[in-house]
Amino acid sequence: MRATERLPNLATAIVLAALVVLPFIVPATLASQIAIFATGALSVAILLGAVGLLSFGQGLYLGIGAYVCGILVRDAGMGLLSALLMATLSGAVLAGLLGSVIVRRHGVYFVMLTLAFAQMGYFAVLAFKGVTGGENGLSGLPRQFDILGLSIADPLSMYGFMAGAFFVVFLLVQRIIASPFGTVLAAIRENEPRSEALGYPVARYKTVAVALAGAIAGFAGGLHVIFLGFVPPSDVELEMSQRLLVIALIGGIGSPAGALVGSAFYMIVSEALSEIWPRWLALIALLLIGLVLFLPGGLWSAGRRISALFERKTAHD
Amino acid sequence: MSTQLLLFQVLNGVGIGMIYFLLSVGLTLIFGLMRFVNFAHGAFYLAAAYIAYPVVLWTGSFWWALLLGPALVAILALAIERLLLRHTYSLPHEAQILITFAVALFIQEMVILLFTPLGHNVPVPSALSGVLFLGPYVYPAYRLAVVGAAALVAIMLWIAIERTKMGSILRAGSESAEMVGLLGINVDRVFMATFALGAALAGLAGVLIAPLRGVEPFMSAEALGIAFVVVVVGGLGTLSGALVGGILIGLVQSIMSTLWPEGAQLMIYAAMALVILVRPTGLLGRI
Amino acid sequence: MTDPILIADAIDVRFGDFQALSGFSLSVRSGTIHALIGPNGAGKTTLVGLLSGTIRPDAGQISLHGRDITRDALAFRVKQGLVRTFQVSSLFAKLTVLENIFLAVSENAGASHDLWRPAGRRRNLIERAEGILERLHLIDTRHRRVSEIPYGEQRLLEIAIALALEPKVLLLDEPAAGIPTDEVGVLLDAVASLPPDIAILMIEHDMHVVRRFATEVYVLVHGQVLTVGPPAEVMASPEVRAVYLGSSGQSRFAGEAHGA
Repeated sequence: MRATERLPNLATAIVLAALVVLPFIVPATLASQIAIFATGALSVAILLGAVGLLSFGQGLYLGIGAYVCGILVRDAGMGLLSALLMATLSGAVLAGLLGSVIVRRHGVYFVMLTLAFAQMGYFAVLAFKGVTGGENGLSGLPRQFDILGLSIADPLSMYGFMAGAFFVVFLLVQRIIASPFGTVLAAIRENEPRSEALGYPVARYKTVAVALAGAIAGFAGGLHVIFLGFVPPSDVELEMSQRLLVIALIGGIGSPAGALVGSAFYMIVSEALSEIWPRWLALIALLLIGLVLFLPGGLWSAGRRISALFERKTAHD
Repeated sequence: MSTQLLLFQVLNGVGIGMIYFLLSVGLTLIFGLMRFVNFAHGAFYLAAAYIAYPVVLWTGSFWWALLLGPALVAILALAIERLLLRHTYSLPHEAQILITFAVALFIQEMVILLFTPLGHNVPVPSALSGVLFLGPYVYPAYRLAVVGAAALVAIMLWIAIERTKMGSILRAGSESAEMVGLLGINVDRVFMATFALGAALAGLAGVLIAPLRGVEPFMSAEALGIAFVVVVVGGLGTLSGALVGGILIGLVQSIMSTLWPEGAQLMIYAAMALVILVRPTGLLGRI
Repeated sequence: MTDPILIADAIDVRFGDFQALSGFSLSVRSGTIHALIGPNGAGKTTLVGLLSGTIRPDAGQISLHGRDITRDALAFRVKQGLVRTFQVSSLFAKLTVLENIFLAVSENAGASHDLWRPAGRRRNLIERAEGILERLHLIDTRHRRVSEIPYGEQRLLEIAIALALEPKVLLLDEPAAGIPTDEVGVLLDAVASLPPDIAILMIEHDMHVVRRFATEVYVLVHGQVLTVGPPAEVMASPEVRAVYLGSSGQSRFAGEAHGA
């Protein structure tokens, strides 16, 4: 059965190699952020790539994951791994609830609702500022650096944890795409009326996909608060949803590996340019326009095309 | 809540609702004909507001801003439609969403580049700087003027759509753009004009609302969000949908701002969620 | 005469001011092939949507195996054995023939909830899928993309997919539509080889096909049933002929009634 990626093992190898090499190319703190946002971008990619659902609202679930994880660590004294698990679950539950309502709408309507709910999340955070800290964010977290007895206090170990977390999610996403469930999602993406006429309860499948994506985003949110030590309200602002979307698109949604490529590109460009020209996002916007018009598969597909060129060249020799 | 307060809040809500209508009508018109949601809607609103700010600052005249804001934004929209959007009509709808989203991001960054990320105040035109006394309540004259302008826009649009040839083309096109093309009408031009009109309306809202709230670069996201809520509640694609949706949301906000001020914005979105559950296509929607 | 499996009773469907179906009733019996004919705009498409579940009636009831399914979702009806084909082939164009039918087999077997195991491992399902393809002589093209096979084979695949869903009632929406004349024979043989115990409702324009297969014909005009009866009787009826105006319509019937 065909998976989205023709050579999933090659993609895995490249991702693993990239993760190993990354801390040697960029500072470890930046590398951690790359891994965290790559995880978040996977939640966009799985929805858009596997099911064809465009979501402007994955930041909402990242945010809720961050707040849940932060609150549990601060107020319930929970360990990092358990809090991370709760972050993931909260993302899944919220996404499942909202998703069950909005998957019945199609096309642009669905996209609009994802954006509207993302805004709703932001205003909810402001409205309940007793719990969330409102505009000041969630602070006062004890800096914990203990995962199963290992310390992640220094930047390199922190990165190791983040990279490992991303890699686990990456493998999971690959697995899901290749499973019968993933095949049905592909069918729904290709031809929804036909899928329905085959007896697939399409709305149910979509809701599960949305919940999965919410879980991944919630997990990323938990990672983010572990990294930062606090929760900025920007975690749940529309800008976060947009960032995850942009990263996923730049990297390419045809393969889960695109999330890492996109995140590395975005964060490195952000670091490099933000000193020189603070409005570097304008360039990203132009890049996005170019991608939509000329390279919808993102950078990952560009890589694939180049390697295909090489294959053809060597064949001719 | 006393009846007097309730009455005032209802009137206030209708006023807010008319403003929200003004904010959303451009979006719904574009969707009605071209069948796509313009994610740059908030950015057009923003751009016009940020044209109004320097114009008022330098010329001291609000009326110039009222003219230039929507006009320049319409020209910007025409350029975007010709150069970019036109190439995406054959692509899936995600392409149009993403392109207009990217355009919005670009416009927002340009605004920050030119005007810094800080907000600015835009002074109310002196002719309308007074207040009106409604019983024990005070209502700013300018605000009333904006509500009046919104009502005027609603009436003019209604006349234009129901009574003019352009309007009937618009209505026919929203049923089937293909058919309109087959009738020999230049669909390209109709699309361009509609997109520019939608942008101009967003721009008009931006200029009119600027003295009420000030301008700051991140208000494009908020505007887009509100416009989305209004059209989801009222129904996407119709003038009356934007009107009904706007007024309903305005009422929710107004009443909530006395009961639970911090949660007023949240309740707008909650109202939207409730409407989708009960009537997924919106109160007056058809799709 | 066996009991009817699928019954539509006094159905009204309105789109705004337009009455698409009015007082429409129909019963489909197992082991029987019924045909539904009628001029364009008579409501045939609305009817298929109604029976399969994409359109809800404004009045009336639909029952399957004696159970009211009027409010039931499309996917649920499929699980109850009510399967449709599409008039314009609606397949997964970028997937292969085998993948298309595998999806049907897999869902029919309830095997699609699996998030974990790679899909290629379900040997028995693949064998079932290949078996159906073999019966319809599609086995040689099974690894080709649907967008690359001739339209006649795509229509065959539509029928194959319908079979994979183990239908009790099959709605065939103009099965031969759009097929070049030299490929029609293969398709019609496939229709002839459908399991004899299922109930079939065939929407058709082509009178040859109707005469060959149907034992009962419904004539639908302006959303109402004009007449019901065996093919020869229906086609000889002056009322029915009058409905199919124009010399092409008249000669169509004239040829049939004289046993051409």
